[in-house]
Amino acid sequence: MTTMTCKKEDTTNCFVFEGKMALPNQYFVGRLGSKFIIALRDKKKILGLKCPKCKKTFIPPREYCHFCQTKIDENWVELGNEGVLVNYTIVRYLGKHLPKKVPYILGQIKLKGADTPLTHIVEGVDFKDVRIGMKLKAVFAAKTTNTLLDLDHFEPL
Amino acid sequence: MKKQSEKPAKAHKKNRNVAIVGIGMTSLSSHKEDQNQPEMIHEAVRAALADAKMTLDDIDCIVHGNMELFEMQFHPDMWHVLGSGAYGKDEYRITTGGTVGATMVCAADNLVASGLYDTVLAIGFEKLQEGNTTGGITNMADPLWFRNIQTGALTGTTAAMMIDEFGAERAKKAAMKYRILMDKHAMLNERAHRRFGLEYDQAEDLMKTSPQLVGELRLIHMCSQSDGACAMIFTHEKRAKKVCKKPVWVRDHITVHREENMSNLYAFEKPEMTHHYAARKLFDRNGIKDPVKYFDVFEMYDPSAWWGLDWTREFLQLKGDEHLRMLEDGEFDLDGKLPLNPSGGVIASNPIGATAMLRPAEAALQIRGDAGGHQIKKEVRHALASGFGGTMWTVLMMLEKDLDW
Amino acid sequence: MAEFYGTTVADIFNTMPKRFKPEEAKEEDIAIGYECKGEGKWKVTIKHGTIKVEEVKGDLKGCATTIRAADAETFIGTTLGKIQAMDALTTGKLRVVGDVKLLMTLLPKIFVQYTVPEKKSSVVAKDIISTITERFRPDKAAGVDMKVGYDLAGPDGGKWTIVIKDGKCAVKEGLAKDLTVKMTMPAEIYVGMMLGTISGESAFTSGQVKLDGDMMAAGATSRFFNKFVDPNAQASEAEELITIKVTNSINCRFATGTAYGMWFKGLKEKKFLANVCPKCGRTQITPREICAFCRVRCNEFVELGPKGTITAADVVYFASPDPLTGAVRKTPYAMCWILLDNASAQEAFCFDIKREDLPKMKIGARVRPVWAKETKGTFTDLLYFELDK
Repeated sequence: MTTMTCKKEDTTNCFVFEGKMALPNQYFVGRLGSKFIIALRDKKKILGLKCPKCKKTFIPPREYCHFCQTKIDENWVELGNEGVLVNYTIVRYLGKHLPKKVPYILGQIKLKGADTPLTHIVEGVDFKDVRIGMKLKAVFAAKTTNTLLDLDHFEPL
Repeated sequence: MKKQSEKPAKAHKKNRNVAIVGIGMTSLSSHKEDQNQPEMIHEAVRAALADAKMTLDDIDCIVHGNMELFEMQFHPDMWHVLGSGAYGKDEYRITTGGTVGATMVCAADNLVASGLYDTVLAIGFEKLQEGNTTGGITNMADPLWFRNIQTGALTGTTAAMMIDEFGAERAKKAAMKYRILMDKHAMLNERAHRRFGLEYDQAEDLMKTSPQLVGELRLIHMCSQSDGACAMIFTHEKRAKKVCKKPVWVRDHITVHREENMSNLYAFEKPEMTHHYAARKLFDRNGIKDPVKYFDVFEMYDPSAWWGLDWTREFLQLKGDEHLRMLEDGEFDLDGKLPLNPSGGVIASNPIGATAMLRPAEAALQIRGDAGGHQIKKEVRHALASGFGGTMWTVLMMLEKDLDW
Repeated sequence: MAEFYGTTVADIFNTMPKRFKPEEAKEEDIAIGYECKGEGKWKVTIKHGTIKVEEVKGDLKGCATTIRAADAETFIGTTLGKIQAMDALTTGKLRVVGDVKLLMTLLPKIFVQYTVPEKKSSVVAKDIISTITERFRPDKAAGVDMKVGYDLAGPDGGKWTIVIKDGKCAVKEGLAKDLTVKMTMPAEIYVGMMLGTISGESAFTSGQVKLDGDMMAAGATSRFFNKFVDPNAQASEAEELITIKVTNSINCRFATGTAYGMWFKGLKEKKFLANVCPKCGRTQITPREICAFCRVRCNEFVELGPKGTITAADVVYFASPDPLTGAVRKTPYAMCWILLDNASAQEAFCFDIKREDLPKMKIGARVRPVWAKETKGTFTDLLYFELDK
């Protein structure tokens, strides 16, 4: 039996292989999430959940109040389709998983009647003109994807 | 043959004793479409808090875990905060494969015993229907070499070996008896996922007609794929005695890994199994001479009837066909010498990230006498629970009713 | 006929041709037998995009795969997804002789999921036509100029022309003379297609829908309108639970490092190279940088085999995806643990065995490697092992 020696420093035979990992998966949105998406999709309405104790309204929906842990899953309220931009950034890097062609504005919009902002895409405004405090309205998607993108984007009022 | 390094037995030295003071579980089912992940987790967390008569304000630290890759969600600990209640608290994410639930219990025990945190909440969960389990498991194999032939968690090698050792008739019959015994236990457990109502006279038919998966591993022998969550609360001795009427004490635990990948498991000469090694070390350092006599219940991670049956020999340090005889003589039944998996075990319900936590959780409920329909009639004082994962990793732990060891 | 979950076994078979998706079954050539205890037997023949469903009185003959249900409840329950097919298979209430994975892979692909017929939806063709203008999407129909005629037969039928021009849409009673395309079909087929209970593809290919004129235009029309929503379906809205399906695909790169690299260098030269622990003398396949028992680095490599002995074998019947390609593996295949000549007694390694050798394979058998014609230093260099006669 012949032996050969290969020391750690010897990188002659170090290879790199290309690989791939493709795993299908699904996500159960749940009872609350489904109600929220279906309202967007079928009625073009944005729903929130309100804590009767703290008087805070949450969007997207959640089962329990963030502050007092009260169960609020039945306490739906209809929010307006208009709101105010409270924060934004401009997405410029290319990524195949991004929902829109870059560059685009990703904003946080506080809807009428909501206490938490909703993060979404802002269109129809020049990058140089976008500013915190501007009034926006929701534009709904024509084709449903059964996701938050059934609300396609927000644009200036 | 070369053995793993042998050091003299040394029990875990703790700064302070740790008790399980709260246990919460969701029901276990094949689909949970009405709840998203944070909502499912929160159901278990609420149940554990209610059981411990605590609120989230009493929790100092959260340990969170599941299988990597199974739901294909990155950073689940972050976006589960809504359900875990980890906002503003220290949180650790643990993921060690099938053992993860048991590893979380070890971690929580260590975190409290060390004195770093007073009260720790551990949460294990899985929604197997959301991902591709076999695909996910396959990715544990070496990407360069073994991944192209790996079959997930399915293997028929143990069945082949048992048939070789005990003859086809006895081995197959025993595997079916084990399977039906687990179903009988699951029928008593309302939370269990698969409850078929099998009878022993169906064994003959099922062992012949159930679809073959790998070798003699058939569909009937294999565990389910479940959705569900489990949460447990741990605290130190002083507080446990104050807040809890029936604390269950974590006495000791051991974790054993292997060095090889799966491809090296089955040569002619077999290394000592991790299960055997773990049990031998743990019993030795705690002075347990006869585990079958000492323990009142064993909640074992049994992914299939073949593995479950084979592993009883390893864990309980049995010889030859002693484990088969125990099964055949009804010693693993609820009224037997050592009741095995009164909950129905992993074969009945397997939400993997929660599975290995359900073992000590179920064992602790037995000690408290709170298991419900599947409660063992005689008093349970000493419990053994195991976790299994990866390439034969083992976590084995001992729980006690009294602080008297 | 026993009724469960609001439907019968016969209903499921009767709707099969309507639910069939011929495009998805172009490559298929298979006969599937069904037997439901107490209900009857059926033979479903699928051949290159065609389907034949027949009730069989005697024995099921010429079926590659046969599906047997213990009772009507099991059959209907598993069809509707009310009973987990896996559970029914596990307990033997559902039995498959032949190809089990057919249930999970082929059938969901070539059929629209069976749903219990609604208690006769009150929606008629007229209701749908009347919503056309409000469902129109001018942004999608820019520059389109066409007239689509619908000739719907039956008591609730009628004739309509939809005019699309200059980003506007109008509906007129009767058929215009200069139609771009005319579609003729029974009114209930139109309603079924619009509600999504009938596969449009199947209705076209089976000739239930007749096209006269520009076929491309007929196919394009659906793009110009939002989907029709049944106003009577509101009641069941609360029941709808949304599932989002995605396949995350990630490209990866794996570096071998020095020790593992030697293994691939060996494959390129059609050799098995293992490294040896300088302390305990154990050979390691695949090579690992250190011996975990002795905790020393293993720099010495030796050649093992090439022949070896089978130490354990698993015949795999369950088809799982190959994570490197995403394709479902062909079954049965075997994973064999092979102890190469000159290897340490506990260092077997696992690999494929030639499919033709499956029946003769046993523990202790001698095997030899079969290499790819051209070896490149990757894991595909070694094809499989075969019995060494």
